[in-house]
Amino acid sequence: MTAAPTTTVATGVKHPKAIRYLDIGGLILTVLTVFCAVIWAFPLYWAAITTFKPEHEIILPYVELWPENFTLSAYYHVIFNTKIGIWYVNSVVTAVSVTVLVVVMGAACGYAISQLQFSGRRILWWTILASFMVPIQALIINHFILMAQVSLLNSWLGIILPQLIAPIVVIVYKQFFDSLPRDFREAAVIDGANHFQLLFKVFLPMNWGVTTALAVITFIGAWNAFLWPFLAAQSENMMTIAVGITQVSDAFGIYYGRELAGAMMAGLPVAVLYLLFQRRVTQAITLAAGIKG
Amino acid sequence: MNRRSETTAALLLIAPFVAVYCWLFIYPTLQMVYLSFTNAPLIGPGEWTGLRNFERLFGDRTFKIAVWNTFYFVVLTVVPGTLVGLGIALMVNRLRGWMQSMILAAFFLPFILPVSVVYLVWNWMFDIQFGIAQYVIEPIVGEPVAVFRQKAWFMPAVALVTIWWTNGFNILLFLAGLRNISPEIYEAAELEGAGRWAVFRKITWPLIWPVTVLVLTIQLILQLKIFDQVYLFSLGGRTQTTMVLVQYIFQQAFVNNRGGYGATVALALFVIIIAFSVMQFQALRLRGER
Amino acid sequence: MKLSRAILAVPAFFAAVSIAEAQTEVVWWDFLGGGDGVRMKSLIDEFNTSHPDIEIQATTLEWGVPFYTKVQTSAAIGEGPDMMTYHTSRIPLAVDSDVLSEITADDLAAMGLSESDFAPATWDAVQVGGAQYAIPFDTHPIVLYYNKEKLAAAGLIGDDGLPTGLDGIENFAAALQKLQEGGTEWSMSTFTASGNFQFRTIYSLLGQQDGEMLTDGEWLAGENKQKLANALKVVSDWVGDGHVPAYTEYPAAVALFTSGQAAMHINGVWEVPTMVDLQEKGELFEWGAIELPVFFDHPSTYSDSHSFAIPNNKDNPISAEKRAAVQAVISWMLENGLFWATAGHIPALNAVTESAEYKAMEPNATYAVLTQNAIFDPKSKFAGVASPMFEAAGNSFTASVNGEMEAGEAVDLMKDELDFLE
Repeated sequence: MTAAPTTTVATGVKHPKAIRYLDIGGLILTVLTVFCAVIWAFPLYWAAITTFKPEHEIILPYVELWPENFTLSAYYHVIFNTKIGIWYVNSVVTAVSVTVLVVVMGAACGYAISQLQFSGRRILWWTILASFMVPIQALIINHFILMAQVSLLNSWLGIILPQLIAPIVVIVYKQFFDSLPRDFREAAVIDGANHFQLLFKVFLPMNWGVTTALAVITFIGAWNAFLWPFLAAQSENMMTIAVGITQVSDAFGIYYGRELAGAMMAGLPVAVLYLLFQRRVTQAITLAAGIKG
Repeated sequence: MNRRSETTAALLLIAPFVAVYCWLFIYPTLQMVYLSFTNAPLIGPGEWTGLRNFERLFGDRTFKIAVWNTFYFVVLTVVPGTLVGLGIALMVNRLRGWMQSMILAAFFLPFILPVSVVYLVWNWMFDIQFGIAQYVIEPIVGEPVAVFRQKAWFMPAVALVTIWWTNGFNILLFLAGLRNISPEIYEAAELEGAGRWAVFRKITWPLIWPVTVLVLTIQLILQLKIFDQVYLFSLGGRTQTTMVLVQYIFQQAFVNNRGGYGATVALALFVIIIAFSVMQFQALRLRGER
Repeated sequence: MKLSRAILAVPAFFAAVSIAEAQTEVVWWDFLGGGDGVRMKSLIDEFNTSHPDIEIQATTLEWGVPFYTKVQTSAAIGEGPDMMTYHTSRIPLAVDSDVLSEITADDLAAMGLSESDFAPATWDAVQVGGAQYAIPFDTHPIVLYYNKEKLAAAGLIGDDGLPTGLDGIENFAAALQKLQEGGTEWSMSTFTASGNFQFRTIYSLLGQQDGEMLTDGEWLAGENKQKLANALKVVSDWVGDGHVPAYTEYPAAVALFTSGQAAMHINGVWEVPTMVDLQEKGELFEWGAIELPVFFDHPSTYSDSHSFAIPNNKDNPISAEKRAAVQAVISWMLENGLFWATAGHIPALNAVTESAEYKAMEPNATYAVLTQNAIFDPKSKFAGVASPMFEAAGNSFTASVNGEMEAGEAVDLMKDELDFLE
């Protein structure tokens, strides 16, 4: 992170032609970028378009980029013959709960470590920092035993609880709160505000971007979580959508269209949310990452 | 506000996190260590067996395969994934306005999908009979390939899918880094007539290095914990051959009902990740970062 | 007085009505995802319609390891189903991990069943240490499906209308050669992507040499190792010589046969309904299914059984009322075994297999003889569907069948893995 090495840039080629040459290069780069993006998105397009084809068109021996006979029967089948509705509910409930709890707990703890003096503060901070890398996945056995002891397996709470360990959220909040000028806090303290008001009325609103970013990332993580919900949900009625579409077969053999229709429905809600709020999501994450990096 | 009320407030604020942390992290970790010295099933009591599990671990062929496969997967994903992410970020960063949004969306969208969706999509892409990817594979190899059934193809294919799936986040981190580089530096370089490659080598690369380190770190931790994709793509196949560490924990404890031995494998993973963290920390310190 | 009595009577009346209407829910898990799954769905529907007091809530989970992992963990924490289908081969393993609830004499009495209703081998397979853990429902061996037109063209159909000239390793190889020369893309298809599926065929060939996996607690003792390698080599050679496609997935293997691209097909009897249904729609050639040919000394075919079992839900045992409902479900299913036979399986109940209707049923009657030659998994806590032995087979056989590894090397690897088990 030293000064930018502006002086070391190669010199000598000071031709006006060079700039025109660069423009052509730029055009090629743009075309290449678009090409790569199309390739990158193609699997999603291909999966999506497959779901609208009747089964006999799906297994054609050549590539059919658009269905000849458009059908919704795969979706009809998934909606009426699987418990996808219940899986949605389970996914929404668990992902939202995890997000809210992780962010609120992380903000509160980050605020305390950043702004307050209390004994054990340094130890707490170092413990959290040290556990940043620790693999939660290594604890599946003990989480399973623990949740079994309190009879929470196969319940929403049992799916939620082990997903709440997110030291990184505390770390990010702490660093953001550290970077705020101390005058804010002192001014508010003189006004007689307590720490809870300070946190929720001053610090959090001032860091709305960070909160959005952390919430979005946590939500995506929880919505997509596979390993733990896969272990914790025992019955079909408790499965989240990410688990359900791979664990329950519908006893009518292999139908690619139906499998993929289930997949599309699992991915759709978050995809739509992302596309709607794309700019804000991108901004929030880049902002949060920018300062961290 | 006096000192006492500050301490009280602090304790109240940290209480939820600390409670969850102790109950769901510290305690299970200690219990994992204890369990690794027993022959307990997944649920229920076991007997103290001393170092028996550890002796067994060192003679366990599948464990060695799992360690090897995990490292192999890390090698296949971490550096290539980071480079691809940087490349895409550089391409996207050049664009402006709606064009940038659209292109970025195309690259970012896979990241928000559940792994099961990614699995179903790519399983269909690579399907040996009807998979569209076979139109690319067949001319090169000479015949369609069952990529998720052949040992040589499995890990590279899963790595490819993983990079496709998780790269959106890396791209955003790189974009953030690129936007932090002040435009004046580029303008100065342009005035001096520096070529595209020279600008990248002499300006972008050194300035983006801290972000690169961040992305490498995140990727490394993430990929060492690989389970989901490997598990799903190896369903119904030859799990022993394509085993990775977290999957072996799962297999021992949940499939074979060997909680004690599963905990031993888990402890080994713990140690490996801590060793990596320490090594990385030292490496960063030596470079003078942070 | 009268009024108050009337008021008191109202809730009692509603209570009575609601009891009459109350259905006992039976949560049912199965793994039947093939052609037999469709048959099972209609059995369940029929049961639900004919029994207003009981409602089966069925969930079909992924066959194999995912199913048995879920059953094991759910029972350990008391969240398992009320009943499930279970492979008999896995019962010793299930008993070892305490997953199954014992079937008592009372249960049998309530279902009206007794030992004499079943064949001795079938009955014996569900007993461990003197206790019973499941009710047998069927036996399902693997068979050889064939395309009659293609075999006839290659001169492989005898005067009796059945395939001929397939016995013996060389004869079979010659037959495969002839079929391919006759213009068939593949002589035969089978689920080669899965070594643990191939275990069924390879184990049959081991049995044809009187070989054993487990002898007095020792894996592949003495000559058995060589015998297993012989058996494995037969299957590997089919693939190696280009007669059978490598790394083929299950649905693809079936589709290769039904589309006429493969002249023969080795699979379980549970794909019989797929063929029957296709032929009814006029979309299939003339086909048949026979016992596996004799490659070595005498006929022998791998077989397993589906049974019904009640999980031992820890700290959450099944209520008497539910258990009664489960008993009703099981005994009804067994009585309707004739319909289950249309799913290709050989019903467990003697009364069904001895009936004239069953004896007339094709192709079941053709391969019914093989029950005498059926061999089962070793009775061990390491064997059965989704067991450690099954995983070891998946590991070694996938590699060898598809030409990544020599048969001898694969068997060595398998023995190492089996010896490591404890």
